[in-house]
Amino acid sequence: MQNLYIAATSSTPEVDFRFDSHQLSLRGESYPENAHAFFGPIMDAVQAYLPKLHATTVTLDIQLAYFNSSSTKVLLELFGLFNKAAVAGNYVHLNWHYIEDDETILEFGEEVADDYTALDFHPCAMVG
Amino acid sequence: MSLSRFHRFKDLARQENVVFYYTGFFSQSIVAAMGDSLRLRLNSLEASQPLRRKLFSIFVEMAQNIVHYSADALTARDSNDNEVRMGSLWVGEENGHFYVVCANPIGSDNVARIRDKLEPLRSMSNDEIKALYKEKLRAEDEDTSKGAGLGFLTVARDSSNPIEFDFVAEDGAHGPFTTFYLKATI
Repeated sequence: MQNLYIAATSSTPEVDFRFDSHQLSLRGESYPENAHAFFGPIMDAVQAYLPKLHATTVTLDIQLAYFNSSSTKVLLELFGLFNKAAVAGNYVHLNWHYIEDDETILEFGEEVADDYTALDFHPCAMVG
Repeated sequence: MSLSRFHRFKDLARQENVVFYYTGFFSQSIVAAMGDSLRLRLNSLEASQPLRRKLFSIFVEMAQNIVHYSADALTARDSNDNEVRMGSLWVGEENGHFYVVCANPIGSDNVARIRDKLEPLRSMSNDEIKALYKEKLRAEDEDTSKGAGLGFLTVARDSSNPIEFDFVAEDGAHGPFTTFYLKATI
């Protein structure tokens, strides 16, 4: 299936989903007016990609310095899809990049890890 | 406004340590541009990265609340995209703390609903606010919400003092309305 690339804007992150090599990343900030409108096509692509996998290792690199409340909710749904794929026998490596002393971002990553225990969660602190 | 009055206005803003002030129409592109401007101002101030992120977070939630819910709209009331609505927002510094205040007109019939959402947050501890936030994050969206219904909770979570709010009844050209004020201190 086709890779998905969306360049960053000041209020939306760079989306670089290389489905062919199972390397997916989100980088930047996320505060679109309508998070469902922005993430909808991304969720659709992920929903088309995941069922085709069999015992595959997928690496997710999430490096979001800021996301607003509506993006937070949609991100949780997105990680839920990957958790399902992990439960189904794939291996999902979630690299959670956050600025060292930014507790809020780390805590959300930990929330994701608490809810979706099939994800292999790796917090990665960056020096701010 | 003569230039001397303009000078007084600017002087007052300086005395009050206003970092940023905007009143007018809010749309997503205006919020993003204001965000860029605010970030440049914050980068030049001595503030830690988490503090700047919290201030930015409160700013975005308040500004997008105006985009979605101000009663003074250029766009249709039930629209979800490309909305444009009227409001004010300012960021200032007071006793060594930053604060963000927003104001926008609301329908008087919304006063009770908003008060019921905000009042309990004022007496909650940080841990209680975080717990409620986590609960709402996993709850179904509310019918009246265009986002996640987490906006006010996010403002409360990111502010270090209890949030403050007020409703002021006013007479407009098209009849009475209420101005809703919300303040958060970081």
